[in-house]
Amino acid sequence: MEEGKEAVMVTPGEVLGRSSDVKAGRGAYTALHNNTVYASLTGFRRTIPPPPDSPDQRPTVEVTGHKAHGPVPQPGSVVIARVTKVMARSASADIMCVGAKSAREKFTGIIRQQDVRATEIDKVDMHLSFHPGDIVKALVLSLGDARAYFLSTAKNELGVVSAESIAGETMVPVSWTEMQCPLTGQIEQRKVAKASS
Amino acid sequence: MAGKGGATPATYSPSPTTDKQKPALFKEDWVRPDGRGFHQCRPAFFRTGAVNAASGSAYAEFGNTKVIVSVFGPRESKKAMMYSDIGRLNCNVSFTTFATPVRGQGSDHNEYSAMLHKALEGGIILESFPKTTVDVFALVLESSGSDLPVVISCASLALADAGIMMYDLVASVSVSSFSKNLVIDPVLEEENCQDGSLMITCMPSRYEITQLTVTGEWSSPKINEGMQLCLDACAKLAKIMRSCLKEAASDSKE
Repeated sequence: MEEGKEAVMVTPGEVLGRSSDVKAGRGAYTALHNNTVYASLTGFRRTIPPPPDSPDQRPTVEVTGHKAHGPVPQPGSVVIARVTKVMARSASADIMCVGAKSAREKFTGIIRQQDVRATEIDKVDMHLSFHPGDIVKALVLSLGDARAYFLSTAKNELGVVSAESIAGETMVPVSWTEMQCPLTGQIEQRKVAKASS
Repeated sequence: MAGKGGATPATYSPSPTTDKQKPALFKEDWVRPDGRGFHQCRPAFFRTGAVNAASGSAYAEFGNTKVIVSVFGPRESKKAMMYSDIGRLNCNVSFTTFATPVRGQGSDHNEYSAMLHKALEGGIILESFPKTTVDVFALVLESSGSDLPVVISCASLALADAGIMMYDLVASVSVSSFSKNLVIDPVLEEENCQDGSLMITCMPSRYEITQLTVTGEWSSPKINEGMQLCLDACAKLAKIMRSCLKEAASDSKE
């Protein structure tokens, strides 16, 4: 089964097929009133064959972004954010990267007390978990409210990735709760992310 | 009702520049100022990627009407806005001071921003960017007739250039009526002396209209004729827009 090797460029509104023949993937949508699949982005049209054991044997047609819009935080995506404010029950952070791509403009996120870690969530002290200026890796829980996305660091590999000590040096992680300043040897408390090996 | 000596007059008369006397030209067998046929549009020129700072942009030239549109987004909505589970579109159309023959006199088209919004929102898949806003800024560099249709078509190209998901490209054409004749894609002089105008914004591939604006007096057969002219012209315009997008995409691939 040949994967679509046609480098056919399509533009928004171009017909990709009938919905009885193909399924709409990324960059395409199905118009219900006339059962046609149209493209919604400018890019190259690719056909993906269906998985052999699925009941629906239609191939998926998608438009791979020649150009896609800047990344927007989606629930379930891992983001890199910088902490701006630490309060008693939450911390505000500016989302700067979504996945591997950097956002053109920042989005606001909030890490609530119950989302900082997985255990003993009611005994979390926000000031012992984050400081303003820390770079954290977090997971987007949901779109949140009008003001901010809800973020979570309740996993081993999530949390503070990089932080500056009071002396001004970038600290070295010691354990999942502590980071040490290389200059002064002072230990500071953070919710540290487990470094990927 | 006599005013005090030297005070402003009690009656108002329009300034001489808005003189709407039809010149003798616009009668039975007149020729359009640029020599086009009545049902012939101006040649269209489009270029995308004109503005580097924006997420997407497009520049359009229809004869002497020159428009540049920048699109920013999707980006965070203002904090004051309520939560919305679909995206928001924010449009702004402004004229440069040198856009019209008389400096500064073209800037009273405040309704264009709202009309651009209505024309575009039917074509964008708002559900694809919940909670965020897409800002569209249109700047008319030179206004020489048919400004809003050019702005709409150019904005649609800029949105496609920015990678915003759309149902279809949006093309727009307007038609002026002069007692018995219908003239497509009017220039500024024709627009000033028109009896009525019909502007159609449509999505050609889906054969759907997103906006229809009619001013003046139109009989049913005339409206039908005008609509058909516009829809045919929109289909041709969409072809030009698509080839512009494809060219730009393959240029940047190399």
